[in-house]
Amino acid sequence: MIKANKVFLEEPELVIALKQQKKIGAEALYSMYSASLMGIIQRVITDNEIAEDVLQEGLVKIWNSIQQYDASKGRLFTWMVNVVRNLSIDKVRSKDYRNHSKNQDLENHVNSIDIQHNSEYKPELMGVKDLLQKLKPEQKIIVDMIYFQGYTHVEVAEELAMPLGTVKTRLRMGIIELRKYFK
Amino acid sequence: MEDIKTYIESGILELYVLGDLNAEEKAAVEAMSKLHPEVKAELEEIEKVMMDVSLNLAIEPSLKVKENFFSQLTFSDEEQVVEPVIKSVVTEAKVVPLSKVANFYKYSFAACLALLVVSIVAIVNLSSSLKNSRKQIAQLQSSNQTFANQVNYLDKKVYSTNQSIKVLTNPDFKMVNLKGTDNSPSSNIMVAFNSKEQKVMLDFTNMKMPKNDEQHQYQLWALVDGKPVDLGVFDMEEGEIGLKDMKSIGTAQTFAVTLEPRGGSVSPTLEKLMVIGNI
Repeated sequence: MIKANKVFLEEPELVIALKQQKKIGAEALYSMYSASLMGIIQRVITDNEIAEDVLQEGLVKIWNSIQQYDASKGRLFTWMVNVVRNLSIDKVRSKDYRNHSKNQDLENHVNSIDIQHNSEYKPELMGVKDLLQKLKPEQKIIVDMIYFQGYTHVEVAEELAMPLGTVKTRLRMGIIELRKYFK
Repeated sequence: MEDIKTYIESGILELYVLGDLNAEEKAAVEAMSKLHPEVKAELEEIEKVMMDVSLNLAIEPSLKVKENFFSQLTFSDEEQVVEPVIKSVVTEAKVVPLSKVANFYKYSFAACLALLVVSIVAIVNLSSSLKNSRKQIAQLQSSNQTFANQVNYLDKKVYSTNQSIKVLTNPDFKMVNLKGTDNSPSSNIMVAFNSKEQKVMLDFTNMKMPKNDEQHQYQLWALVDGKPVDLGVFDMEEGEIGLKDMKSIGTAQTFAVTLEPRGGSVSPTLEKLMVIGNI
């Protein structure tokens, strides 16, 4: 039913529709990006229900603050990802979330995520493993932490006791690997 | 140029796309992007891979999210309350097919009526033409009957004429003319007599006799050596034609006709002698 109602707009049209608060804008926003954004949120928040709450909150925030988006500074999707990622990180760092699920050891995080997903069996997430396996181990942990879990590079450098420059270049090399994967 | 390359390779653009820069750093990247197309192109590449990865890792959220999301929005191009819109769509969706069905029946009914009217007109026309045809058939039958009667009459006439010709052209027949007596001076009868074949025939075609009534009949007599011999009775009738055979006789000197009671008499009533003629 949902798939039958899918609405797609070109990005400039979508931006206009959203800025004018047109219903079709909301429809297109949802059908084009809700699943991608959900994927990103679930990398940070494994709890499905909380992740959906954050997605909903993020979509509303995107809708309400669309006027702040400046197309000359990058893609709409990049902007939206930053909105939901910031919400997710805020959520994860909030007190009630910490109480809800105990933080895990950063060192084991990649593995623990894989184990979690395997145990829950979400085929949608199986791609992550494949993607990360393209990367060298030292890239893998940095890409996973920054790209998928929303750590800042400063935090990663602190956690892994690495120079900031090393974190940045490894992140870049990792992302270049991913670019090759999609070409 | 070398500086730009180093800048790109520093990894700052990835951090920019990932939203991991403070406002100052962000502004610097945006400025660089405007100044250097390579920077802009690199940023676009990084954004693209981020989208690709995200699509690859997309998870369909439950329907509840969409419902909750939409329930919190106000659209510029729609009534605030979504319900009536849906309702109107629903009623529209229902009304259209219904009216189509109604229209269908309406047109069907109209078509049936039209067909009925056409049929009635056709039936009336047909029945009147049938009546005409029957009248014509009756006329044709009656004229056919008349025609057949005429043919029969002519047939009979031809036959009797042929017979008369045969008799008249036969030398064995003697034609005896019986002339009217004082009882009926204008009467006249021709008798054909063939003594060889002992045949006596009366010619009705040229017979001139008063019409006899129901109680009486004419009787033909032959006088053989002074004695009357009965040769049969006959009626004088309009339209009667041809030669009619009477009783046989071999010899006779005189033929005579008297008026007798119907059925004839044993001996002739001489007071009622109508015609007489000698051979």
